[in-house]
Amino acid sequence: MNKLVMNFLVTKGYVEAAKKFRMESGTHPGIDLATITDRMAVKKAAQCGNVEDAIEKINDLNPEILDTNPQLFFQLQQQRLIELIRNGKVEEALEFAQEELAPRAEENQSFLEELERTISLLAFEDTSNCQVGELLDISQRLKTASEVNAAVLTSQSHEKDPKLPSLLKMLIWAQNKLDKKAAYPCINDLSNARLEEPTF
Amino acid sequence: MPSATVNKPRPSELLSRLTSAEPEVKVRALREVKNQIIGNRTKKLSFLKLGAVPAVAGILADSIDDVTENNNCNNTNNFLVQSAAALGSFACGFDAGVQAVLDAGAFPNLLRLLANPNEKVVDAVARALRMIYQSKLAPKYDFLQQKNMEFLISLLNSEKETVSGLGASIITRSCETNLEQKALFDAGILRKLNSLLEGGSLSQRDASLESLATVFRNNPEVISKFAGPEIGRPLSSIIDLAKDRYPRTRLLACMCLIVIRNASPHFLQDIGIKTKLIHILLELLDDPGQVGDEAPFAFSSLIAQKEDLQKLALEANAIDKFHHHIKKGSLHPRRYEGILLALADMCSKLESCRTKFLSLQAKPSQSLEPFKALASNGIHTATKPKPSSSRDQELMLASFVLNLVADALTDYNAGVRAAACICLKSVTRSIQKLSAGYFMNETIVIPLVQLFLDPSTSVQVAALGATSNIVVDFTTSKSIFVQCGGMKQLIQLAKSMESSVRSNALWALKNFVFQADNRLKEGVFSELTASLLSSLIRDPEPSVQEQALALVRNLVDGCINLIEFVFAEDGLILGAIGRQLQCASKAEIGIQGMYALCNVASGNEFHREAVMQLLFTQMGDKNQSFVVKFLQSNDSQLRTATVWTIVNLTCPSSPGAPCRLEKLRNAGIVSQIKNMVNDPCVDVKVAIFFIFRISPCENSARAIYGFRGQLSMSVFIHYSEYKRQEILKQLVFQSSSPLFF
Repeated sequence: MNKLVMNFLVTKGYVEAAKKFRMESGTHPGIDLATITDRMAVKKAAQCGNVEDAIEKINDLNPEILDTNPQLFFQLQQQRLIELIRNGKVEEALEFAQEELAPRAEENQSFLEELERTISLLAFEDTSNCQVGELLDISQRLKTASEVNAAVLTSQSHEKDPKLPSLLKMLIWAQNKLDKKAAYPCINDLSNARLEEPTF
Repeated sequence: MPSATVNKPRPSELLSRLTSAEPEVKVRALREVKNQIIGNRTKKLSFLKLGAVPAVAGILADSIDDVTENNNCNNTNNFLVQSAAALGSFACGFDAGVQAVLDAGAFPNLLRLLANPNEKVVDAVARALRMIYQSKLAPKYDFLQQKNMEFLISLLNSEKETVSGLGASIITRSCETNLEQKALFDAGILRKLNSLLEGGSLSQRDASLESLATVFRNNPEVISKFAGPEIGRPLSSIIDLAKDRYPRTRLLACMCLIVIRNASPHFLQDIGIKTKLIHILLELLDDPGQVGDEAPFAFSSLIAQKEDLQKLALEANAIDKFHHHIKKGSLHPRRYEGILLALADMCSKLESCRTKFLSLQAKPSQSLEPFKALASNGIHTATKPKPSSSRDQELMLASFVLNLVADALTDYNAGVRAAACICLKSVTRSIQKLSAGYFMNETIVIPLVQLFLDPSTSVQVAALGATSNIVVDFTTSKSIFVQCGGMKQLIQLAKSMESSVRSNALWALKNFVFQADNRLKEGVFSELTASLLSSLIRDPEPSVQEQALALVRNLVDGCINLIEFVFAEDGLILGAIGRQLQCASKAEIGIQGMYALCNVASGNEFHREAVMQLLFTQMGDKNQSFVVKFLQSNDSQLRTATVWTIVNLTCPSSPGAPCRLEKLRNAGIVSQIKNMVNDPCVDVKVAIFFIFRISPCENSARAIYGFRGQLSMSVFIHYSEYKRQEILKQLVFQSSSPLFF
């Protein structure tokens, strides 16, 4: 159980919590905690919309990541474009799109659609109601940040998803299956994990 | 806070800062270059053109000197890390970059730096070297030298993933010969790789799988030593990895298992593993990234040339799955090419696969497409047609999927175009569908003929291959092909600089005139001209000679007027045949040449006398005609062809026959033939029968020999149904030219 918790803290990047947990429970993190700090710096930069900074930090950590992951690189560049549009820097945005993003779409046609979606943000006066408005939402930044986190984890040969959520999913699935066959004490409320007696 | 765009310095400005005297400016410029090029192929190219690589390589070299002189450590390490990272990025997936890095002399410096005490430096350097070794331009690693092997072992033994990964990629790139594979085995490398498989990290496992596959390739000896009892059960660890959670690992494990299967008949042959491999690879198609792009290529390597696997794959619905992916559209060109080639392999031998492929349904929105196919088959409609017969319905269904293939024929990527042609070639091996006229329509023929002018030779050759099959068309007329200029294009291609294009164009022409009507043949001949054809017969390339002779054979087969072709322009062609048969470099040339002569000899007396003269032309003081040489050949087809020619020359109904028979007897040919009465080949025996068991009645003799010179209809009918099918099967590409009829 302790290993599960540690795995969660490490994968999500909660360094301080992981350190404290190690002290209290004696569980080994299974990964050098210093690498987590680097990774967290990258993730934080991405979450704040500091894409250029995030890119520099990833390249310092491992230049291969962006060189061998065109999808992720495009996503980061796309985020940069979104930030420029968010700040109303229209001219710079167009120049950036032309210089940096268009070549990506040329190298890889599947990016063209995404690029066009992002550029279309410039066409709308009221971006909050348009179809592509979701790109401006904070959730887009979080999505990018989470992709970046996953890429760094994979490059460090660590699994990119914590085990805990999958285990919980499996618990619910198993209970659903078992419901059809037997009556048994089950967990209905995941937050308190209390075993409840079967009702008839 | 969102980032503002900093006004970036121009690349040329950055480059000049790389040579700055101030270390601060220099290192910042270096880092900036690195950050600009990572992930950005366009920038890599533009910096390359400005000469960035030698500049960065120079910084690396200078920093090494600083290390030796124990100068400012931190700064030096920083320079080393940044310059190595930049060089690595230039080399990443970019051959021009790799070449530039090698030309700048950075390679030996990078190797030296592997021994540097600083971890970050070693990491950066190891990565850069690995990028170089991922390219085919990487310098060859000599495994057979002792110190090189020791160095490699030290790399693999390293704790650092980047370094052991480098060791593995050196093996994957450079290990080529059986000797090298054995040397690696003897040095215990495989044992080390196996331990990385079982206990290593994700990247170590993947790298290990690739290296193992390289060492196993085409080497059954190394495989059986590896899979032997001493190392536990190593094959099972590879099999387990084929079910790993990571798609890339699954793919690499499958590829390794396929290499083992293909090299060694003793391992992985049970139906369980075969089915598993098929299912895993088909499932990997769903991966949206590079793994899904490469999966169809691995699938091809599994099933190519293997009917049992093709059957299993058919049962696993492979064709449906591939079709499903193509239908989705906007495929990465690599994936598109891979799927088309996989379909080509599936349909290469089994009629059931071809039928399945041609019966695939399309999306409802494509229902208007079949117009093109149906209209050119003579069924004119102004509105959406209702298939009036099951044949029409079949044609309509086939046209759906053929439209998909036709789209691929016009794709912007050359690999995709070539793959579409290869797929067509496989599908058109179906005599059934050829006879039903599935393919001789505008949808297919027009884009195919356009590919004759393709800038890529491999596309041209592939298009010619598909054409060769399509023009063997029994029922519908070949006029579509002529109308869109196909015939003229083929003749143009017969003059190509590339020998493979010449021989394949001739192959297509040969099939085109097979059993064609006289007018068509005359059209071909007048366009081709006697002088071109005779020069092709005398082409420097044997494959071209063979196809040219086969073309003559098919041209003169039939009406007696056609035989005049070989006498045109003072007997240019006949003379060329004679000269080529004198010095035939391989049996196939003799076979086609003799059948051509056989057909000529089926004409009139003049023709027969001309052939006779040819057979007896002396070269120097060689007394023996090539006829005897051919009769004594190991190749049964050559013996058969030669005997048939003699049958035609000694046909008793012709007045000159006794005289010719006498000449043949004097040359020892008759006695040679008598010795062949017990020839192991049935076809030879049948032919000899005709020489010695001649029917006295002139009518039946004529019926037996016919004017066609080859085996006539009456005898053909006496062959069993199976034999007739066999003969018919040989009509299509990849097999010998059309023969008996």
